[in-house]
Formats: sequence, C-alpha cells, structure tokens
Amino acid sequence: MPEVLDQGTQPGGAPALQPQPSGKRNALVVLVVIAVVALMLWVGVRQSRSGSPFAGATPIMEVGKTAPDFALSTLDGQTVHLSDYRGKAVVLNFWATWCDPCKIEMPWLVDLQKQYGPQGLQVVGVAMDDSGRDAIQKFAHEMGVNYVVLQGKNAVGDAYGATGYPTTVYIDRSGKVVNKILGLVSKSEIEDNIKQSLAGGGSQTASVPAAGGK
Amino acid sequence: MTRLGWKLAAAALLLALPALAGDDLQERPKTSFVTLAPVEMVQVPVGGTAPLRLRFVVGSGLHINSHKPNSDLQIPTTLKLNLPTDLGVGRVEFPAGQDLTFGFAPDVKLSVYSGEFTVTGKMSAVRTAAPGNFTVHGTLRYQACDDKLCYPPKDLDFAFNVKVVKGARRR
Repeated sequence: MPEVLDQGTQPGGAPALQPQPSGKRNALVVLVVIAVVALMLWVGVRQSRSGSPFAGATPIMEVGKTAPDFALSTLDGQTVHLSDYRGKAVVLNFWATWCDPCKIEMPWLVDLQKQYGPQGLQVVGVAMDDSGRDAIQKFAHEMGVNYVVLQGKNAVGDAYGATGYPTTVYIDRSGKVVNKILGLVSKSEIEDNIKQSLAGGGSQTASVPAAGGK
Repeated sequence: MTRLGWKLAAAALLLALPALAGDDLQERPKTSFVTLAPVEMVQVPVGGTAPLRLRFVVGSGLHINSHKPNSDLQIPTTLKLNLPTDLGVGRVEFPAGQDLTFGFAPDVKLSVYSGEFTVTGKMSAVRTAAPGNFTVHGTLRYQACDDKLCYPPKDLDFAFNVKVVKGARRR
C-alpha cells in the first residue's frame, strides 16, 4: 500500500508532500475496531439485562423433547420458572383477552384443574396480551381462573410456536413435551391429553406447590 | 493495513455477531391475512372532493373484527391515512359487521368482516393546492381469526395515488 501523503508547505507558499507514517493509520483502524466491538458488547449486555425469559438464545420446542425452560412473571409480580413445576403434569396454555376461542376453553381448563389438580396437574396460562396486568387480572378473575397466569413475552410464544391462540402444550412430569395443539379443541380432547401427561414422566416432587387464581 | 490489524478486525466481527443477532435468530413469518384490491387513481379537483373506495379482501376461512365489535376486549379494525398537506379525507365509513357465532358457543355473537369489505370516504384538496400527483400512505390495523384460532393483531400498510386537477371554473 502506498504511503499516505499529506500536504505541508514549502518556502514560497507552494504545497509540499511529506510522507506520513503508515503505523499511525493502522493504529487508528485498530482503535476504531476495538470501539465498535466494545459498543456491540455493551448493546448485547444491555439486551440480556432487559429481561429475556431465556438464559441464552431463544430455544425451539419439540414434541418428545424437554420443554424449553423460561422465566415469566405472575400477575402479582413473582418470577416463576417452568422447571419449578417439574414433577407435575403441566398444561401450558397461550391465550389473550381478545381471543374468543380462548374464552370458550377457559371454563373447561378451570374444571379440569379442579378435577385433576389433586393428581398432580398444573394448568399455566400465559397471557399474550398488550393489555396491562390489571386488565388481565380482572379478566382472569371474571372467568373464575383457578390456575397460574403468567404475563407472556413474544420470545416464549416464539419458542413454543404459538403463532395463534389458543396454543396448548402438554408437558409430562419429567418436563417432556407430550403434545402441542394449535387452536380450540373439545373438552374431551383436552382431557385426553391431560391424562396422557399425568401418566408420563414418572413421579417426582415439584419445587413449587400448585398455585391458583393468579 | 497490517496483518495484525486484519486479524483484529476479523475477531471483532466474530465477537459482534451474537450482539447483532440478539434474540431474533428466526425471522417471524410475514403472513398477511387481509389484502387491498388495486385502487384506481383518485382525481380530486382543486378546492373540491372525490369519492374514495378502499376494497379489502379477507383471506379465505378467516374473519376480522368489524370496526365496532360487540365486546370492548376485541380489537377493532381501524384505518389510518397519512395525508400530504394539501389533501384531506372526509369522514371515513366502515360497513356494518356480519354476525358470526361459533359452533362451540352458539350464544357468543361476534361482529366481523369476512370475504370483501369496502371502506369509503371523501378525498378533498384545498383551494390553494397545486395540481399534480400525490401518493397517500395508509395502514389498516386488524385482528384475524378462523373458527378455532386467533392471530395477533396485524398492520396492513398500503398506498394509493391521488391526482389533483384544476377545478371547473365558476360562472
């Protein structure tokens, strides 16, 4: 690479060309690169602190494999991990207050939580609303919800392939995904999936007792 | 640049990739459940008005909430137009929704659009508008469902052409 030349002056005012050391230019390039890297790492750290529900990159759920663990907040602000329910059969139900098919199946989920809760069932509703916490809480109360309700995030919906609502994922006691249903189905079909989830995964102790109503 | 400089640059790019990628390792599918039929150029006289008709088509098997759904919880269909300074639009009117019930819940009545629906309005140009061609951009916000599944709200961005022409002389 030719040396960079900059202009000085000669006696008589005519510009003169003087050689510029290439080492200074290389040092400048290196400094710029380091600054860019530092900026990107800072952005990355900020993003990781902004409340991603996953420990690392967004995972993808697969039937037959362990359900991706995540951390979300309950309506009263407590952080809950899916893995807290290991040992129970979990029905993970993605819904929204504006989703009419969701409203149809909610009373069924309430009934099934009541019926199968003593056998180790935990329904977990994940609210995928832009509505505030108060609106979701009011709605859940009016619907008589007796199971855990979490404030959802798009990343969790994406991980579980919840492209629409309701999306329901059935997880056995060992944390393995037994089935995933997109859309409203009959109460008897929901019950069949619950029985399958309760039957699978052996008996282990959950670290969080069944919580209801919030 | 020296070899060391190139190596550092390559290392910087490799380190930066995770920060650049973030959580969006997968692109969200960009499915549109509603489309806008082609809009004929709207000719508006200076100082006058012209009818505006926007014909939207809802995907087969789907419905969207009408402009006035039956419940406050449902997300209504709305229209927003970004108008150039010299243009205006009179009251935008949506058609009435159709009543729809689910087989699972025959008592629940929804007010929806399905198939095609047309939104009307009146474009106007101020008396000081200069004749010429304009592009009007708009957004239709809607929330679509089929009979078993509801999709998150979506925005349909669109544009149509308006030509401002000299008005007729008054005698």
